[in-house]
Amino acid sequence: MNKEKQDFKNKDQKTKERKKFTVSLSDKILIIISSSLSLVVVGVVFIAGFNVEQILMVGGSIYTLGFILTFGVSRSFSQRMASLTKQIELMAAGDLSSRLNVDSHDEIGELVQAVNDLTKKLETGVSLEVSKHRGISRAKTDFVNIASHQLRTPLSIIKWYLDYLISGDAGSVNEEQKKYLIEAYKGNERLIELVNGLLDVSRIDLGTFSIEPEPVDISLIVERAIEKFGNLINKNNLTIRKEIEKMPKINLDPRLAEISFEHIISNSIKYTPLGGVIKISIKKDKKNALIEISDTGCGIPLEQQPKIFTKLFRAENARKMESVGTGLGLYVVKAIMDKSGGKVWFKSPSPALCVEEKIIDPKKSKKDISLGTSFYLSIPLQGMKGRAGTKKLTSFK
Amino acid sequence: MIVPLTDKLKNQGFKVINASDGEEGVEKALAVHPDLVVLDIIMPKMDGMTAMKKIREDEDWGKDVPIVMLTNLSDPEKISEAAKYNVFDFLVKTDWKLDDVVDFIKQKLEMGFINLSS
Repeated sequence: MNKEKQDFKNKDQKTKERKKFTVSLSDKILIIISSSLSLVVVGVVFIAGFNVEQILMVGGSIYTLGFILTFGVSRSFSQRMASLTKQIELMAAGDLSSRLNVDSHDEIGELVQAVNDLTKKLETGVSLEVSKHRGISRAKTDFVNIASHQLRTPLSIIKWYLDYLISGDAGSVNEEQKKYLIEAYKGNERLIELVNGLLDVSRIDLGTFSIEPEPVDISLIVERAIEKFGNLINKNNLTIRKEIEKMPKINLDPRLAEISFEHIISNSIKYTPLGGVIKISIKKDKKNALIEISDTGCGIPLEQQPKIFTKLFRAENARKMESVGTGLGLYVVKAIMDKSGGKVWFKSPSPALCVEEKIIDPKKSKKDISLGTSFYLSIPLQGMKGRAGTKKLTSFK
Repeated sequence: MIVPLTDKLKNQGFKVINASDGEEGVEKALAVHPDLVVLDIIMPKMDGMTAMKKIREDEDWGKDVPIVMLTNLSDPEKISEAAKYNVFDFLVKTDWKLDDVVDFIKQKLEMGFINLSS
């Protein structure tokens, strides 16, 4: 601070000294006016006794001389101003490293010097901000790496030991004990899912996740995603209706495509009452592959529909129906689609049908697909946009 | 972590040699020459990546022995580094059930025997 004050004082002193030796612009104008005036006076005195023609001639010459002088000064002035404006505009566009040329010691020269000083301060400030931002970003990444490792280590230990106990390899457990151990195992799995989901979200937010497209048969990925939920589909007595159009191979990141399909199919299964129907169709138009996943489920309350893709959001009826769920799935799907050039949207025309448990309003036909929710994923036939990144997304079901 | 996996493998009839840190692991592996090595990435004294390199340095047995890495994070840098040493199997522990790990190890060993016999 003191150094800055000292610098300012020195600069002020220098400016004052410079003023003593320099002829300012206003001085120049004054000189011009005064010299013109004195010329006129001298002329009037000198020409006393001369005829009108001669007076007019001398007056005209003086006028012309004054005009030329004024024109010259104003022209050089406006040229300097135009060039300065151009340079300042460049600086304003972000080139804070360039400096204006100080070509004179008049007022404009001083203004140019002041602009240079200001730019220098701005440049220092901006670079400080940038390095601060980079530092924060790096700290966040480090935190995510450390936290995820530290969280996953105990979770994997719990997982394997519980697994070991449940299987009876460590000695027999009675049915009741086994039931409790299974509950603990399930709870741990939910925690793993949440940690994986949070990791993905941080990778999305930090922009560190990669997209690695390769030619893939989209229907195989959808089939694989459905297969993962085979047990749950049977348990809930759900009918899966597939309408799959033949499709050329598309350049997709198979992992990201699978994560997206899994999240949406998993939601359909979770929120469709027992005995319901889930329709999965794959079609294409000229430019895009369109994947539609519709269900005879509970629908999404109209007032909550705008929030459905936000982080950690779960619709009220969903929360009542199914306590399990991280509220991260659709956020992840949306981010994947946004970053890879695809789109995701949904239609849920009916007000929320299910209130509690998996019971649907008996007046509504549980087989009517138009009453549930339909999710649509559109992926360009020319493929996903590739993207270099340091991490992969992990949130598989 | 090592106990349930060891017991599971023993119950399936495998002969298992345990080590509680990386250094001990490399020492025992070079002495016994097992058919397959399972390494955790994070270990006391010597980490899994270093242990893997030490094993691969062994010209007679180590350069070809199947190695399965256990990890908590899918780290692309480590995966690509391990690939240089002919190690392609990284199992993220939170994604794998014990029985599935045992099945995976069985599969790797069977593949090894098929290669040897062919």
